[in-house]
Amino acid sequence: MLNAVWIVLLGMAIIFAVLGFLFLTITIVDRLFCPREKKEAQE
Amino acid sequence: MDIAVSEFLGFLNLSWQAVVMLLIAGVLIWLGITHKVEPVLLIPIGVGCMLANIPLGGTTETGGFLAVLRDAGIHTEIFPLLIFIGIGAMIDFEPFLQRPYTIFLGAAAQFGIFGTFFLAYWLGAGGLNLLDFSLNDAAAIGIIGSADGPTSIYVASVLQSKYAAAIVVAAYSYMAMVPIIQPPIIKAMCSHEERALKMPVVAGAISQRLKILFPIITILVVGLIVPKATPLIGCLMFGNLLRESGVVTRLSEAAQNEMANIVTILLGVTVGGMMVGIEFLRPETILVFVLGIVAFSLDTVAGVLLGKSMYVLSGKKVNPMIGACGISAFPMSSRVVQKLGLEANPYNHLLMHAAGANVAGQIASVVAGGAMLMLVPMFS
Repeated sequence: MLNAVWIVLLGMAIIFAVLGFLFLTITIVDRLFCPREKKEAQE
Repeated sequence: MDIAVSEFLGFLNLSWQAVVMLLIAGVLIWLGITHKVEPVLLIPIGVGCMLANIPLGGTTETGGFLAVLRDAGIHTEIFPLLIFIGIGAMIDFEPFLQRPYTIFLGAAAQFGIFGTFFLAYWLGAGGLNLLDFSLNDAAAIGIIGSADGPTSIYVASVLQSKYAAAIVVAAYSYMAMVPIIQPPIIKAMCSHEERALKMPVVAGAISQRLKILFPIITILVVGLIVPKATPLIGCLMFGNLLRESGVVTRLSEAAQNEMANIVTILLGVTVGGMMVGIEFLRPETILVFVLGIVAFSLDTVAGVLLGKSMYVLSGKKVNPMIGACGISAFPMSSRVVQKLGLEANPYNHLLMHAAGANVAGQIASVVAGGAMLMLVPMFS
């Protein structure tokens, strides 16, 4: 069962790492190369 | 001349398994037509199942047309990948690009995959040995929690699970049942005040440049870190690039319509053709369906838990319900949250926020599939 525990832990870690990196990359590219007017307002 | 009539008449060769499968085929077709439960897939699956279980029909024997389709489209993983090109061309990632933080809700909601995998392995070869679930089978069963048919087929095929047909039917059936599975869990986890919370409207359109760069960046980031996810994310993002590039409208429309429709027919009938009674009717198949519900429920719980964390950390600006949309059952899950939001507060329109988390879940489920394909051989 130890192998299954490792798969669960590493699997979730990989998902958060990959998507976290994707989040950072998109945010940086958005700020640097794709300027947009962003307004936040309460509906 | 000595002729054995039973060699020519199908009904004389009917086994009880074939009869049950013919009934199941009828139920699938009935659900599709009468109740409109994923009719696009359940009708072809039902017909494929019917054809595969007619004795002496020969459709699933070597050279039979369902066997040829299975070898050409499922065993090579071509069908789910082609479907992904169509899905990519259909998805508008703008709600997600406006709220990129929702990607973490998609990540959290993949816990259902791994939690269910653990449970299946514990019930099978990893612990109790009650069921014939190997490590590969458990991983393929867990992937039902991706709430994504093509990913489920792809991973189950690559891992060569003997429950591939049941896994695919469960994945598609439960996607249609999201409006039944998710609301009680969300209501149990979120107070009325939380459900009624309005979220700030994000104004200002995403630039076309970012929409074009997004699929390319995603292929590179996901592919370079989790190479096993490259076929899935590559096809998904290729379809999206066709859509967003704006210069290949014909190809984008062909991917969304003609190609997606043709492959859906072939995929459905082939999956149905894999439901041969003698292999399908075993106690493990029922457990696959039970574990499918567990996977969808755990997805929802994990997504809402992260949603609640964001609710607290953001100073009550994030409605925790949108965490449930991290499950990639698009767009059913978004509609569920929109409906629950409106029930709690008639002025609470959460659809676009929910859609952001929902399409983020689509990407997250592909990454989860790739992670599973990477990790299972390492720990086998």
